[in-house]
This record gives sequence, structure tokens and C-alpha cells, in this order.
Amino acid sequence: MAGEALNGIKVVELATMVSGPYCGKLLADMGADVIKVEPPEGDPSRQCGPFPKSGPHPERSALFLYNNTSKRGITLNPDRPEGLDAFKRLLRWADVLIDNHPPQHLESLGLSWDEMCRLNPGLVYTSITPYGRTGPRADVKGDELTLIHGGGLGNLLPTRSFDIDRAPVKMGGYAVGYHGAITAALATMATLLGRMKTGRGRLIDISLQNVMLTMVRVNVAGCRYQGTSWSRVPDRPPATGRMKTSDGYVVLGAIEDHHFRALIELMGNPDWVAGDEWDSMRYRIHHLMDVAPQMDGWMIQQRKHDVHHAAAKKGIAIGPVNSAKDVIVNEQYIARNYFINVEHPEAGKHRYAGWPYQMTATPPRVGRPAPLLGQHNQEVFCNALGYSSEEFERLQRLRAV
Amino acid sequence: MENNMLPLEGVRVADFCWVWAGPYSTMLLANLGAEVIKVEGHKRTDLTRHGVVWPLPDPAPQELPPNQGMSFNSVNMNKKSVTLDFTKPEGVGLAKRLAAMCDIVVDNMRAGAMIRLGLGYEELRKLRPDIIVVSASSRGQQGPHKDYAGYATIHQAVGGGAYTTGYPDGEPSTSGGDVDLINATTAAYAALAALYHREQTGEGQFIDYSQCEGVSSMVGDQLLGYELSSEVPERMGNRHPKYAPHSVYRCWGVDHWLALEVHSDEEFAALTNVIGMPELAKDPRFADMASRKENEAELDRIIEEWTRQRDRDWMANEFCRAGIAAASSRDWRDLYADPHLRARNAFVTVDHPELGKLELVGAPWKMSDYEMPERYAPLLGEHNDYVLQELLGLSEAEVAELRRNDVIM
Repeated sequence: MAGEALNGIKVVELATMVSGPYCGKLLADMGADVIKVEPPEGDPSRQCGPFPKSGPHPERSALFLYNNTSKRGITLNPDRPEGLDAFKRLLRWADVLIDNHPPQHLESLGLSWDEMCRLNPGLVYTSITPYGRTGPRADVKGDELTLIHGGGLGNLLPTRSFDIDRAPVKMGGYAVGYHGAITAALATMATLLGRMKTGRGRLIDISLQNVMLTMVRVNVAGCRYQGTSWSRVPDRPPATGRMKTSDGYVVLGAIEDHHFRALIELMGNPDWVAGDEWDSMRYRIHHLMDVAPQMDGWMIQQRKHDVHHAAAKKGIAIGPVNSAKDVIVNEQYIARNYFINVEHPEAGKHRYAGWPYQMTATPPRVGRPAPLLGQHNQEVFCNALGYSSEEFERLQRLRAV
Repeated sequence: MENNMLPLEGVRVADFCWVWAGPYSTMLLANLGAEVIKVEGHKRTDLTRHGVVWPLPDPAPQELPPNQGMSFNSVNMNKKSVTLDFTKPEGVGLAKRLAAMCDIVVDNMRAGAMIRLGLGYEELRKLRPDIIVVSASSRGQQGPHKDYAGYATIHQAVGGGAYTTGYPDGEPSTSGGDVDLINATTAAYAALAALYHREQTGEGQFIDYSQCEGVSSMVGDQLLGYELSSEVPERMGNRHPKYAPHSVYRCWGVDHWLALEVHSDEEFAALTNVIGMPELAKDPRFADMASRKENEAELDRIIEEWTRQRDRDWMANEFCRAGIAAASSRDWRDLYADPHLRARNAFVTVDHPELGKLELVGAPWKMSDYEMPERYAPLLGEHNDYVLQELLGLSEAEVAELRRNDVIM
């Protein structure tokens, strides 16, 4: 087998939904051996969908299928003493534990961070929680909606809202989960590199609220120190940014002088931007509003994909607002082989989103489809953890797996 | 104390990045202990050094001195700065020598720009075979759109993130620089995976990063959902396909909002107690998740009738204490004042030579037993002598000569 970047790294993932599982996927698709531990009823993302037209089915949820590629899956009930014992054996086996439960969950089973260090001094424990493991809000619940608003980014959305009297919104989908997962994967990787020198594990404390705060780091500093404004209401010329076309929207970024010169040409050199003064960014900042109706009027007559290509070929920064349907047929993505065909025994063969990084020596890959519930119980317990088949059967009888 | 060495101590990074996406990826590496050297032309510096973050204050200072832009100072902490004029062969030659002394080289220029400068991966690997090079462009280095330009909001639009953000009856919404910052985080992750591989095998590599694809991978469940169901995911505002209540409610005051999300019947019962209407938990319209979802508009109206007369932060505390996920929709003042963020040292204070004390957002993680570095973003050319003399071994006279020839500042 050709080597992947993270071959040899052993990961236990005790995590549900997006933040922990996508972190596990990032490592698994790079070649780490990730064992996903699910409760007997499965990761709740198995119930979330979207599902095929045939209807809800725990092995056919897109959210689960996407976020759990390349992993092996076991079911384990750590509330049973035998299950807890098996989980401890997993911790001794592992280099990394990814956990997105509140700290009390493992602590109540006797697995504090100190205890985990005793079991395995080299363990990297990546703990992902809504507000972090310390501080006055450490025990507070939080998820996609509350954390994006609590972290500041939600308050800025939707951008260029024309109705200040309407509530700010979250980002679509599971943005907080993905942001947290990527951040956690980076911190985990760095810690594994540091461990090469010291042999020592670490506790990585990822607060999802804090991750979202770091996404507005520039905005908060600009507001505090340079008096810029914090707002979701229109604050810049409507003729740039999101613009309406005859069949959807584009985002136009004709910001630099050469962009705007090319845009004037593309629009057919209209009279209303004929003067030399339009060649100055400073002038445009103060005067684009004057020609906004004309620019909007021109854009509404264009089709989003046509104007995208025509403008981009002239060097203008621009992009269409793509739906999932548009993304799937994006010719650039297809040329780069961004989508990966994955065949799953229950869900069938489908195109999955790949990775934004193409790596010459160690290309990421989908090593296997997302695991069926408990698919690798026997393999993991008997091979990785050294249970005999009698011991394994006993675990099954005791409903520990 | 070896045990307290930062994880990337001993790793050196050459940073040919500008604006947000590239610089933040190398800042994250610097936070983790890498020595990051930011290379800029002194006649064409990173434009965020001078710029004011959008939206502009009024009256707008258009241009700041080169060390004072707040976005520059927010995404370049803990780095060193060297200036080299890339329009002169001596400048490019020195950049190349410097890059060959680094483990990782990162740029976020247009596709092919580093190759045109003579600093492409193939050139650099001749000098250092195990080098890791990350080029983070808009659409990637190859393919029919490789020369298309883009900014954060454009990547978000192309990648499929903007389409599903906003109200169902409203327009799609981009956000802003956050898209660059999460792409930066993903690119830094790929770089460290490559570094791990190099530590194991001695093999370096080239990483071609597409910022549009970075967005798509964060909506991968939606893309697969479309593949499975042939239904295009649409905008849902603050709502959730299953859970209710799940919204942002008007509070007493101007532009004050409270986010509430309920994921179980127990949490809903707790919510009805907080708002003093325990009978709602037994009301057949709201008794279980499916009926609450069905009668969501009426439920939201009832909740907002209560929230609009009350103080936002008081309510957030009441709900949280009752075991419900609740948060004020915070603006920058709220964030700086948040006692929880302050208790966790989410902000770090740096002493900037020109701007004085600045309280900036720190790293997005906490790690046990590490002292995280906290240094202001480097002044333009602040480390010219260190880089040219100590690292590249030039004499004082040679440096003076370069300065006379305007190769360095």
C-alpha cells in the first residue's frame, strides 16, 4: 500500500455529530487508523439526513456518511464495567483521543485527564466542548446556533441586510462544527509533532465559542482600535459584493483599479463611468453609490455563470453564488478530481466532496466508506485490543458492545 | 525545559503571504512555536499593513503608516519580518536562499506566481529536496479556472457556503474574512500532516490548496445530501430541520437579540418554566419535537412576546442555568466584556512599539503546560539584520550594499 501522511497514528474517536467526527475524518483520510466509538444506538448524525428518497435510515444519512469516511466503527457501552475496561484498553492503544462530550462524561467514569495520563502518558487528548473546559460558562450547553451568535460572527449576518429590524442569522449547515473540527485537527497534528521530541501527551482544550471568536479577530480589533463599524446593515456600495443576476446572484470584487477598468470595458464603456476619476479607488469608494442603480441594472440582465466567466477572464475577481447543484457540476472541481466516488454497502455509490489540498507525495484518500454500526467490533477487539474470541463473545453477551 | 518546548520549536517557515488567508496560516504555525519569517517587497508590502478594515469609519483615514493596520496586526503576531525587492534579481536570489533554509514555504499568490518569480516548488526542491511548499490560491494551480481571481466572499460563493446562509425569503449571504481564516487553518493542517510525513520518511512535497474547495469541504454533508436526495439544500435562517424552538429572539433595547436552541422535550419543559408558562409543555401543539416544529411560528411568537420585554444578558443566564443552550448575539463590545472569555484568556495583550498596548484575540486553542508566545506583529523590515546576517551569513558591508541598491529597506 502506498503510504499516506499519517500512517501509523492511532486515534480513538468518542464523538458525535460534526466537530469531533470531522476532526477524525481529516486525520483518517490522511491515513491515520481512526476507531470511531459509538453508543449502541449510534451517532445521532445517523438520524439527521439528508436521506435518499427511500426515506430515513441510519446507514444512509449524508451527515454521517460524509463525516466518517476512512474510519473503523465499533459500538461500546462504557457504562458497563466490561465496556469501560475495553475503552481503557483503547486508550492505552491510542496516540490520540478525540472527544466532544462535556468533561464530566468521562470524569464520571473515573477517566479524568490525570487518570488518562497514568494509563497512557503519551496520549494526546483533543477535547472539544461548547465553551471550553474552564471558566464560568464551562458547563453551559451550546450548539450551532448559540455558539455562532455567542462567538460574534452571527451578529454580522446576513451581511448587507436591508432590514435592521430583523434578527441576525447563523451560517447555513454546521459551520461551527466544521470550524471547530479543523482547528482541533491542526492543534492535534502540532501536538503529535511536539510529542516526537518529548514523548509526552497533552490535553488540547478546544472551545467552539472561542474558535468562532477567532474568526472575527480582525473585526473586533478594527472596531476597538480604529473605530470601524460592526454591522450587518448595508455599509458599502451596493454595486459590489453580492449582486443580483437574471438567474441568481454573483459576488463581485472589482476592488482594484485594474479590476474596475476591466469591468467598465465588460459593461460596454457606458457614459456614467466615462471620466478618468473612476480610475481611482479613493474616488470610487465615495462615488460608487451614485452609479449603483446603473450597475445593478446592468448586472440583472446577465446570467450568473456567463458573467462569471466573462469577467473572470478579464481578470476581475468574481464568483457565482453556487447551490449544491452548481458545485457538483463545477468544471474546475471536476478537472481537479475534487469529487471522490465512494461505494457504501447500504447507501450505494456516490460522489463525495474531497479535500482542498492536493498533496504530491501523500495524496489524501477515502480508505473505506463510513462504517456500518458496529461493523468492526470483532476486528478491533480481537486484533487491535487482543481479546480472545471467547472474551469477545462474553462482551457481546453482557451487552458491553 | 524540554517538556515545555512549544510543539513546533525548531521548525522554520518562509511566509510569502499577504492579506488574510496566507498570513493567518503561518501565524498559527508561529503560535505553535515555529520561527516564521514574513518576506515582503518594501515597495509592495502586504496591503493590510496600511489599510483600515472595512467598513471604513467616517471620516475615513484611507491609508495608515505601514505597521498600523489592524488586520495586519491581528493575523501576523509572533512572526519576523524581512523586506526584499522581488523586482531585482538580488532580491529574488536572497528569497530563494532563505526559502531553502526553511522547512515549510507558504504563499497565497495567484496560481503560478511563485514559479514566475523563480521560487516555485521545483526550483526550491533543487536546493532542499525535503522542502514542503504550500501554495494557497483561489481555485487551485491547475484546471480551466486556475487564473480566476478571488477574495474570501467569492470563495464562499463559489464553494457553496453563501447560498444556504440567510433567510428563506431573503438573499444569500456571504460573511467576510472569516472564510480566509478557516481556509488558513485548513492549509496549516495540511502543512503539518506533510511535516509529520517528512519526519517519518524524509520526504517533502508540494501542496496545491484551493480556497474555493476549502469552503465546499465544509458543506460536504450538504453536497452529499444533494447527491443522495436530488433536493437542493436551501436557506433556513436560524431554523433547524428538526429542532424547535431554534431561533434568535428580539430582546428589550435596540438591536438586542437572544439565540435559543432546544434539542429535547426536557429542555423545552425547562424553557417553559423559565418563561413562567409551564402549561406550554403539555399543550398538544408543543408537546413533542414534531409538533413544536409544525407549530414553530406560533411558538416563536409566544417566546418573543416574553423576551422582547426583558434584558438580553439576564435572560441568557436564566436559560443557561436551567440547562438550555442560550446566548446573546454578541457584538465586539460584548465579546471584549465577556467574563467567560476573559477568564479563559481568550485575548492577549501585546505591547506594540507604535500603537501601545493592544488587546487582540489569541490562539483558538488551549494546551496543557505550554506558555504560548504573545508578540506583536513585526514592524516592516524589523528583522532584516537577523535574517540577512545571522541566517544568510551576509556581512555588514554586504547588507549596507543591498540597502544602497534598494534591494532591502
